[in-house]
Amino acid sequence: MPAIFTVDPRSGVPLYLQLIEQIKRAIALGTVAPGEQLPTVKALALELTVNPNTVARVYRELERDGVIDTSPGRGSFVRTDGAGIEARRAVADVARAAFEGAVREAKSLGLSREETQELMARTIARWYETENDR
Amino acid sequence: MTAPPISLKGLTKRYGSFTAVDDVSLDVAEGSICGLLGPNGAGKTTTFKCLLGFAKPSSGSIAIEGAPVTPATFESLAYVPERAVLYDNLTIADHLTICRRSYKNYDDARARELLALFDLDPRKYTQKLSKGMRTAVALTLAFSMRPRVLILDEPSSGLDPVHQRNVLDLMIDAAANGASVLFSSHQVGQVERAADSVAIMKKGKLIVNSVIDDLKTGEKIIEAVFTGSIPDLNGLADDPNVLRIEQVGSTLRAVTREESDAIAQRIFALHPKSIRTIDLNLEEIFMNAVSGDQV
Repeated sequence: MPAIFTVDPRSGVPLYLQLIEQIKRAIALGTVAPGEQLPTVKALALELTVNPNTVARVYRELERDGVIDTSPGRGSFVRTDGAGIEARRAVADVARAAFEGAVREAKSLGLSREETQELMARTIARWYETENDR
Repeated sequence: MTAPPISLKGLTKRYGSFTAVDDVSLDVAEGSICGLLGPNGAGKTTTFKCLLGFAKPSSGSIAIEGAPVTPATFESLAYVPERAVLYDNLTIADHLTICRRSYKNYDDARARELLALFDLDPRKYTQKLSKGMRTAVALTLAFSMRPRVLILDEPSSGLDPVHQRNVLDLMIDAAANGASVLFSSHQVGQVERAADSVAIMKKGKLIVNSVIDDLKTGEKIIEAVFTGSIPDLNGLADDPNVLRIEQVGSTLRAVTREESDAIAQRIFALHPKSIRTIDLNLEEIFMNAVSGDQV
């Protein structure tokens, strides 16, 4: 698999959640394609130096979310139906949480609604314009 | 359901009036790695000694692969003590020969791989080795017999960072093949990486025994800043999911055990100026557990 995952075991965010988010992100960005096979639990555990049970939990949750199919003896594959939609929904959740955190921070630091709105508008203009210029 | 490969029930070990291990119950499942943490003198090594039959428990029971410990247990169990026990007047190769003759699952090809991994020269006498290299020899012997149960007492002490990482990889590889691993460490980061569950001991008692990711999901700090003084907390401190509350000036910090969202809601209802949830890593959870007076 061409995608590279990295996890931070020292973070307070549970490892399995970090890995689920990264795999969904990779699918949403297309670095992991529908139908593609994921590494075995053992291979991914050794590659990342994390516990095999943690990786097994990630695959179980991804299967439950309809992102991958696991069949005994064959391995785990990204689903061709709907995995992309679920992955997009998941990354939108990540973006929404980051956005929410930023606005909450601005408010708790004492910025007014107008100041926060202006900050957001400027930030959006900066990042989305750069993309259009390409 | 088969019995867990490592199982302690109500293990207690007293030396005279001193209780070294106090009513410890702990299971390690097949394919699982459990990291045992605790300050010096918490009872980790005594627990291992009882587990291996080197010390007789005062009460409680121990089972390895569902049976009491006998010499036959050591066919499938490997133990690496904190200070490796080796024959000083023999070479590393001699040690491998002894293992080949003694253990039917001994894998010579695996032993050669591990010697290379730890940069060990088999012609060397073990007497001449540093503490870290002696540990590496003991680990080579332990993993070469393809054990189903591994008990490792500070397996990376004295090793350089590269070889420390190798030890984690070896444990992960063994667990992925179905082995059960119980290891003690002073390095919380190693447990956080390689283990799926953590056990924390303090003064002989087991004070935490949980899946690490579940622990991180539950244990958070909710920090709220109020305008002026902190209002009446409405019995928040009595909530079973609140481990501790700190109040400094107009800042309130609540450490949660579980249901941090619900606790945050309760605090939010007191109309703070700001509120945030702080994730805790295993080191912080460990420090909270061993520094608090409550058990």
